Amino acid sequence: MAKRSSNNLDTAVLRESRSPDVKFMKSPEAAGDQGMELPDQASGYAHRTSYSVASSENTVSIPNLQFKQFEQEQSELEDDSESEAPFSLPVDSENKAKKIKFFSAAKPHMRAFHLSWFSFFACFMSSFAAAPLLPVIRDNIDLTKQDIGNAGTASVAGSVLSRLIMGALCDIVGPRYACAFLVMLTAPAVFSMASVSTAAGFLVSRFCIGFSLATFVTCQYWMSSMFSAEIVGTVNGCTAGWANLGGGAALFIMPLIYHLFQHPLACDSFVAWRLAMFVPGMVQVASGLMVLYLGQDLPDGNFRELKEKGKQVKDSWSKVIFYAITNSKTWVFALAYGYSFGIELTIDNIISQYFYDRFSLPLHTSGVVASVFGLMNIISRPFGGFLSDWSAQRLGMRGRLWTLWISQTIGGLFCFLLGRLDQLGPVIVVMVFFSIFAEAAAGATFGIIPFISRRSLGVISGTIGAGGTFGAILTQLIFFTSPAYSTETGISLMGIMIVCCTVPIMGIYFPQWGGMLWPPSKSRNATEEKYYLSEWSKEEQEKGMHLASLKFAENTRGERGRRITPSTTNACAVTYA
Amino acid sequence: MDLAILRVVPFIMLVHMSSIMAEGATLFSELSNSLTVSVTGADNTSPNGTKAGADELLVTWALNSAAQVDDSSYKTVELKLCFGAPSQVDRAWRKTNDILSKDKTCGFKIASPQPYNRAGNTTKWLVGKEIPFAHYFVRAYVLDSAGEKVAYGQSSNAQRTSNLFTIEPISGRHASIDIAAAVFSAFSVISLFGFFFYEKMSKRTSKA
Repeated sequence: MAKRSSNNLDTAVLRESRSPDVKFMKSPEAAGDQGMELPDQASGYAHRTSYSVASSENTVSIPNLQFKQFEQEQSELEDDSESEAPFSLPVDSENKAKKIKFFSAAKPHMRAFHLSWFSFFACFMSSFAAAPLLPVIRDNIDLTKQDIGNAGTASVAGSVLSRLIMGALCDIVGPRYACAFLVMLTAPAVFSMASVSTAAGFLVSRFCIGFSLATFVTCQYWMSSMFSAEIVGTVNGCTAGWANLGGGAALFIMPLIYHLFQHPLACDSFVAWRLAMFVPGMVQVASGLMVLYLGQDLPDGNFRELKEKGKQVKDSWSKVIFYAITNSKTWVFALAYGYSFGIELTIDNIISQYFYDRFSLPLHTSGVVASVFGLMNIISRPFGGFLSDWSAQRLGMRGRLWTLWISQTIGGLFCFLLGRLDQLGPVIVVMVFFSIFAEAAAGATFGIIPFISRRSLGVISGTIGAGGTFGAILTQLIFFTSPAYSTETGISLMGIMIVCCTVPIMGIYFPQWGGMLWPPSKSRNATEEKYYLSEWSKEEQEKGMHLASLKFAENTRGERGRRITPSTTNACAVTYA
Repeated sequence: MDLAILRVVPFIMLVHMSSIMAEGATLFSELSNSLTVSVTGADNTSPNGTKAGADELLVTWALNSAAQVDDSSYKTVELKLCFGAPSQVDRAWRKTNDILSKDKTCGFKIASPQPYNRAGNTTKWLVGKEIPFAHYFVRAYVLDSAGEKVAYGQSSNAQRTSNLFTIEPISGRHASIDIAAAVFSAFSVISLFGFFFYEKMSKRTSKA
């Protein structure tokens, strides 16, 4: 069968995101292994590095276990063979793919995957396209530091609102149209940038372009419709990480395009940058057209069917939002994400100018050097998720919290150092380390988010995502708009603020898993079930609305780390047998 | 290979640092103000409102006879277009720094360096299209045979506030660019709605 061709590592590796039943059944075999135990990722927001280098066998110690899983998987596949027939990937009962094949563009799953991350990438590129050209733009339009700072803030501000709206839009018209609407309707803003002549026009243009960053939501939504829960976390991590590359790519590519117009095509500098802005605009339009033409909302192609099947538990929106807002973890992580992902957006906006002004690098060189920060995303964000999962195997949720706190704090310290140094070589080295830790922290955050709540997961993820861009707004307003202090001072102060805003993570406490500083509660009531069922009232439980949360709670037992006793796992295996 | 890099990188950094220190040792305040510089527009009009890309500036420099200086080391003169104080406000990338290598006041070269002579010279210069809008003055640096700055003269006062003139820049906008932007934007919006309604229509007809 064609499906057996998934013998190659790149698909097998991603099966690490195991559904808990399979993991528990195999754990007696795995117990004797010296290699890493695969973590239990119920809703699978885990991130893995190994897929990107999966072709090389020696990268990680996972391969031993993979093949055991793969053997089991084959028996699963034999059972599900009928449901796989029309698709090139194995699917579950909803036709959502259970595996991922990176180098395929097969309908509908992989095609959706590539369309989705590429359109998000194009939007990131457009949002940060003006940043590396600022040395030219600020002369052309006569901008002051406040104008530039405000425009940079505006470039990420629009997305806070649009990310909140996008969720609803996806529900109404489907992720494909939502993505296409967003991309095609913000493309005029990119083209209008070529015609700006005042600071106000520049700000409005960047603000409107920034709306397009809400493709984060359509990306996640589309991937959740196409890929099953076990793998959706990895898929979302990939798409988010690769799309964030767009920020780095913009810093790298835009000066090259500018120079292309300036020299071989002999345009004046004030004309060349305007023409250069057409390129991200056209890429955006092209990606929108591809999404419309080649994409489809669901594996079976029909969005209306999903609504008719009533897949989603008919829950009351007000309750969902209530439980999201009253959960203090939402706000702690929104703040923390604002100071990992938000910092990344801020740096994308200011770093190219920083290299141009402070170190007197030519425009394209400062763009290249600055782009390294964003380009590190290709490995650092997935690595953060991987590190989170790896620490969870040993220490459970406590390990995840420590990983997040450590990487984000070290990132903050490197940020502080970045502003203090004034030699180019050390600055680049420190920037690279800063990017690795900050982006890993962003990836690690999404390793924890799926466990905060089951009922309000969507709203919580959306709030934390919006918190990310809010952090970008805040840091740009505070540190990089006022002429009172220099950019390097702003960077150092930002580093201190990162460390401070990461401290609240120490206060996160799950009764059943513990927190950074406190072990889990010894009380009988401290179970995963109690935690997730606390979101449902007695009446709702009587109606049976809580069953999905109950199942989810059992799946999260892996977050206890190595404390899982064989008796517990066997009990669970019995449940799923 | 790695060891070689470990040896080479510090060496490069040392060279880089020493080159910085070699230039950075010269401060602007150490230079002697020995030249007089004046600027006019073409035909001796005021240079205010000179159009970039179209108009010319006439820069006249000469040795200041009142300042008794020893000009035996003066070899070449470089003319520079510099930002006046009002145009440096809130723009840290144009900041004046006493350390010459870090000074960003004078961003643009006027013509090519010319040989020094006591009587001075008048240079005609077509203002380039890359010059932004700002209040400017002209400064002339005198270099010695080693290319190090030894003296200067400028058309403004020491605080860079007097005798400034503005240059009108090109906007960079062209009708063709605006039209192209409008066309592409329209294409984007129209193709989106066109596709949307086309799909709606075809669903309706297939349902019917």
